[in-house]
Amino acid sequence: MMEWKEDTDMQSFGDLHQNARFSEFNVEKDSSDLIIATRGLTLGFGQKTVLSDINLSVIRGSITALIGPSGSGKTTFLRSLNRMNDNVKGYWRKGDVLFNSSSIWSPDTDLLALRRRMGMLFQRANPFPMSIEHNVVAGVKAHNIAKKSQLKQIARLRLEEVGLWGAVENRLHDSPFRLSGGQQQLLCLARALAIGPDVLLLDEPTSALDPISIEAVENLILDLSPAISFIVVTHNLAQARRISHNTAFFYEGQLKEYGPTKRIFNDPSHPETQRYVSGRMG
Amino acid sequence: MSQTTTIRGNNQRKLLKGLLSVRNISRITALIPPAALVFVTAILFVEALPAIKYNGLGFLNHTQWRPGNFYVNPVTTNGVSHPVGASYGALPLILGTIESAVLALVIAVPISIGAALVIVQKLPDRFSQGVGLFLEILAGIPSVIFGLWGTLTLGPILARDVFPYISRIVPNIPIFNFFKGNTGHGEGLLTSGIVLAIMVIPIIASTSRDLLRQVPRLTKEGGTALGFTDWETNKLVALPWIRTGMIGASVLGLARALGETMAVAMTSGAVLGANPSNAFLPMTTIAATIVSQLDSALTDATGLATRTLAEGALLLTVITLVTNIAARLLVRKVSSTALPIGRGI
Repeated sequence: MMEWKEDTDMQSFGDLHQNARFSEFNVEKDSSDLIIATRGLTLGFGQKTVLSDINLSVIRGSITALIGPSGSGKTTFLRSLNRMNDNVKGYWRKGDVLFNSSSIWSPDTDLLALRRRMGMLFQRANPFPMSIEHNVVAGVKAHNIAKKSQLKQIARLRLEEVGLWGAVENRLHDSPFRLSGGQQQLLCLARALAIGPDVLLLDEPTSALDPISIEAVENLILDLSPAISFIVVTHNLAQARRISHNTAFFYEGQLKEYGPTKRIFNDPSHPETQRYVSGRMG
Repeated sequence: MSQTTTIRGNNQRKLLKGLLSVRNISRITALIPPAALVFVTAILFVEALPAIKYNGLGFLNHTQWRPGNFYVNPVTTNGVSHPVGASYGALPLILGTIESAVLALVIAVPISIGAALVIVQKLPDRFSQGVGLFLEILAGIPSVIFGLWGTLTLGPILARDVFPYISRIVPNIPIFNFFKGNTGHGEGLLTSGIVLAIMVIPIIASTSRDLLRQVPRLTKEGGTALGFTDWETNKLVALPWIRTGMIGASVLGLARALGETMAVAMTSGAVLGANPSNAFLPMTTIAATIVSQLDSALTDATGLATRTLAEGALLLTVITLVTNIAARLLVRKVSSTALPIGRGI
């Protein structure tokens, strides 16, 4: 009965969920509405197979949560999407990942441009060893997106967007390492937003943050969607319920179940999913 | 009776323990290095005092180096007995010391950083360990071997094939025009600088390698995920991350280059009393002069020659100290702007 009680506690976030644009979408939409689609993605390192035959379609503008026990392959899956695994020793793969209907591994795909359109936020904040302002525009400069004279303005815009401007306005030229953990993560989010991604891949972005910072990050995600599609790996089931439209349950390298978050949590069709979302397996 | 013995025994043990406590021992050992520095500097100063009196400030800005005539009776000036005609100016030595060390750093730092990046990021583990081993072996080779190799092999090759080319391609503008003109015979400032660079590369490269290994993977991945190329990740993330540590490593290298004696004595041409007009011509440094002039200085019955060498040594100590302090200030300035690791010098 515990899980039901938890559910009523979550009612306060129910509004967000109800209003979410794609919450009732069927996962099998026609392909133009899909921003990312994996086709039989199987991969591993050396002898080990980490993911087997993953077919997952992400709807444009949606927030997709990836849940599952540790070691189920969620993070590996996420890192495959922007090809962060490509250089890992012993990496091999079968199957394909389509981003806007074209393969991310096709020879025509410009890897750097792909990563520009698919931003990433990590488990812990990872600011660069440069000033706060330079951190925000680091990607803008590397991709040569804006003129030099516009950089200050971009930095301000993005810091305002993530709600950090007030806190750092007077120390734009200071080290980011003096900011709090939550502020650093918001800074990294500003940095990722500055290059104008279509998708943001979030790898447990709030696992090292305090509740207030978590709320700030979650609200930002909700605000930025549907302009940006989000794929969020999370161990925090309440978070998955609060912010995601669709939820994918990974278990032992397989995609066990994928569908609207509400259904996955309230009426899962697989016994493993049932056990996991009800907290009996973790 | 037996009780008193026990008590006394305990007191003795306590007393001994008190004197030899970890805290006291560590206090004493901690004092040894600074004490040694003060002691050496003080002795040098006392030794050099007559020379300082006789040579005056001219020691710092005069060019000629004349021990005087040892075969006639000495005369006394300012209370210092000296050979007739003795006149010492260390300007070429000071310039030579600084120029050769700076040249060595200018050559060594980029090569070391490049080597460290390749070792850490590009080479498979097996090879990177092998290259690391070579670096350590290189660091352990006695400097006289570098000196001999520099003067017999490297110098002539440079003078024949490399220096004329450098002289031809370098633009005729200030600083660069120092690398124009007569290319000499292979003993000189640039040869010494190159040999010194080879000697300090192991120090700087192995430190950079260790520092680069400390850069967090997550931070580098942040760059990769943002669409940086490998080079951009290095330039914007990894190298700035190790900046303070690199300054420290460079100063270690600089100190080694400033004080290096044998290799420079053998490759510099050891010419006294003149400033080289360009980077290819013979020169000398303070350390090389001390070792090459000591023999003849000992024949100066008045002792002025050896005392002058002591003055040179004192000067070298001061230069090294000033360099170290300047580097520390630089590190403090840089680390106050950003850096999480690698504060060490």
